[in-house]
Amino acid sequence: MGKGYSARIAFDLNAPMGDSTCISCGECMVSCPTGALTNKTVVGTSITAGPDAQGFEAEELLQLPVFKGISGTFLELNRGAIVKRRFQPGEIICREGEFGSTAFYILEGKARVSLSAPIAHVKTQGGAKGLFKKLTSTLAARDADVRSEETRDRTIPIDASVDLAYGNPVAELGPGDLFGEMTCMNFYPRSATVLADTDVVAFEMLRNVLDIMMKNKSFRAQIDQNYRQRALENHLRGVPMFADLSPDFIEHLKGSVELQRFAPGQVIARQGDAAKNFYLVRIGFVKISETYAGGELVLAYLSRGDYFGEIGLLAGGVRTATCTALDHVEVVRISDDDFRNMVKRFPSVRQGLEVVAAERGAQNQQRMQTVRSVPIDQFLSQGLMQAQSLLILDLQNCTRCDACVNACADAHDGITRLVREGLRFEQYLVATSCRQCRDPLCMVGCPVGSIRRRNSLEVIIEDWCIGCGLCARNCPYGNINLHPFEVMVEDLERPGRKKAVVKQKATSCDLCTHLKEPSCVYACPHDAAHRVDPRTFFSEMLGGGAAK
Amino acid sequence: MQGACAVRIDKKQRGWAVASLVIFAVFTAWYSAYAVHAPSGGWGGSALGLTFGAIGFAFMVFAALLGARKRVPVWRIGRAQAWMRGHLWLGLLSLPVILFHGGFHFGGTLTSILMWLLIITVVSGVLGAALQHYVPRVMTTDVKLETIYDEIGNVQKLLREEADRGVESICGPLGVGKSASEEVLRAGGLSAARSMSIVSSGGAVAAAAETVMLTEEECAFLRKFYLGEMRPFLERPRQRRSRLGDADKAHGAFSGLRTVMPQSAQATLEDLEDICDEARQLVRQEQLHHLLHGWLLVHIPLSLTLILLGAVHAVMALRY
Repeated sequence: MGKGYSARIAFDLNAPMGDSTCISCGECMVSCPTGALTNKTVVGTSITAGPDAQGFEAEELLQLPVFKGISGTFLELNRGAIVKRRFQPGEIICREGEFGSTAFYILEGKARVSLSAPIAHVKTQGGAKGLFKKLTSTLAARDADVRSEETRDRTIPIDASVDLAYGNPVAELGPGDLFGEMTCMNFYPRSATVLADTDVVAFEMLRNVLDIMMKNKSFRAQIDQNYRQRALENHLRGVPMFADLSPDFIEHLKGSVELQRFAPGQVIARQGDAAKNFYLVRIGFVKISETYAGGELVLAYLSRGDYFGEIGLLAGGVRTATCTALDHVEVVRISDDDFRNMVKRFPSVRQGLEVVAAERGAQNQQRMQTVRSVPIDQFLSQGLMQAQSLLILDLQNCTRCDACVNACADAHDGITRLVREGLRFEQYLVATSCRQCRDPLCMVGCPVGSIRRRNSLEVIIEDWCIGCGLCARNCPYGNINLHPFEVMVEDLERPGRKKAVVKQKATSCDLCTHLKEPSCVYACPHDAAHRVDPRTFFSEMLGGGAAK
Repeated sequence: MQGACAVRIDKKQRGWAVASLVIFAVFTAWYSAYAVHAPSGGWGGSALGLTFGAIGFAFMVFAALLGARKRVPVWRIGRAQAWMRGHLWLGLLSLPVILFHGGFHFGGTLTSILMWLLIITVVSGVLGAALQHYVPRVMTTDVKLETIYDEIGNVQKLLREEADRGVESICGPLGVGKSASEEVLRAGGLSAARSMSIVSSGGAVAAAAETVMLTEEECAFLRKFYLGEMRPFLERPRQRRSRLGDADKAHGAFSGLRTVMPQSAQATLEDLEDICDEARQLVRQEQLHHLLHGWLLVHIPLSLTLILLGAVHAVMALRY
């Protein structure tokens, strides 16, 4: 900023460096003609070296085709931020659920990517059918316990160039494949376990190196090609309306779609703008929100494999919601022309779209009516109107006997999903128990996209939850717990053998749907515990107050 | 006043109340008719006396089963509320029914003990019901900063630590013992709290939080108050001797302190006063919690003894 004597370095709109979007790539230093900009190593950034890790000189890296076009000065300044690792067959490269900050690029060899977490959801059973049958929580696969509106019956999204099939969550990675991109860019937990099938040689790199490489045309082109060949079709087929598209049209789309990147906070599409494109999410999380007079309502968080933008295109009208990148997002953009062409050629697509549009329109209208009918500004500060279901304790009746908490623990194998503490509103205590929030922060960052919501907006945790605990950390109310289960899994270090391990699955209040009524409410002897819909509950209260 | 203090017989209690009144009226009429015509008045060994005894004992057993019901909260054998209402009304009815059973005579040693046990149990139950009706309202009004009862000790410890930090931020180290968790917080918490601000000269610097240390004389005054009065209060808030245990006296103490402390210390003093207020509220919560649940220490053992001795009495009376 400034000129001459008053010139100084500034970032973004004069933000401090630490608050800016600067990623310390060093390109400015490379470009500086006078060498006035230089690098001062305050905190040494380097990947922990080990016997299997090999550091590089910049000249060595530049010999490799994948680094063609990368600045040598940058590589020199970031020595230690990229290492070459060798893995022997059977060696684990990374484990699902572990936190990390690096990505891997395979140079040689083949690796197997899989989920070791049991593909099953937590089911509580017993009790309802007999007096003496103890309530137990078990893991139930989809065919043993069918739940309505379960999604993603085809693939499980992971942080790699492939997705995993639900029925057999194993895939192969080979030379030119990149995995761990989300972990590296956004520090999410590893989404799957990667095991070397043969001798594997891979680069492990930090975020600043990955970011520069993703800006490099040749590297970018290779990653894009891998995605188009291996995962894009599954993502396209994952959109229910596209299930019947012909193979030749899919091939056409694979060649014509554009991959676009967005920085954290960047708006992809704004409410009210003209609708032009249809988007599929390749990596990252996208927030879908609606703006109204009183503020903003978050409708959904979309992750890999999800899609948005179709409603506006159908009517040739405007965007009905704002879509914002929550972190480093990459989307597949299907242009307006391709979309219209598709709708024209495949009537089933249009029919599917019309059904979805009608449903969404009804939901939006109902939501807006609710929002306008209650002076929500009072409740927004407490987040109460963000909830769809609240456990309210009437403190004037409650004798603090904890029967509700004991009942919840009894109904869930000793692990309570309710804490008798939280916000107070007049004589009511809003207990800490899943609120089925309209802004489900728990969903942001799930490495396998397993926590999502049904069309009724109820939160559901899918079978492939890997128990990393990120949703539990994200929930601002502490309403998600990790429930441990003992399972037998393949011993990766000794093929052919199994070992007993404890696997965790995220759980939250399930309203005791298996018992028809929440146990906390059923067990309260003083008529103090109630599950309420905050819309009707608070509007009745406010309506009574207004009448006075 | 009436709305706040009247016993609330809402629609859900009405059914039980009416049924109990009807049962009582029927039994009273039945007993009256019997007692008038009985040659030596009513007595427990007569047919009607035994009937009343069996009914009364059945009412007591049902009432006692509430404890067992609470042990299996998820069993679908009737809502806990229904069991509680049954406990209250049938438990209350058991007293007149047993009086009818004995013909209003207390009898021998065992039966006298049983009668007194029953009377005390029923009276303690009525008292407990009244407490459970009124005390929650008092707790809701008086204890705005209520926490879970088992966490009161932890919260009190956190209040002490917060008060220590507040005073040390303007007076320097106090020299009081720190917990391990507090040391960890100090290691990273203060630096993490510093805000980044843009200084006009054009560089971004880390600015320290605005705190102005007091002079030695001012510190001495505050330290004397804090270490001599407030910290002992926070360590043992139930002690009655401290004026900080009374809201008005505490307010007076802090008002006096405000007049002698400089402007830079006013925010800290306000925080300290809030901490004292919260500590008082937690003491009040403890008192009310003991009131809410303490009567059970009498009611439950007595009722179990009553059931046990009642069974013994029934066997002995019928067999011998």
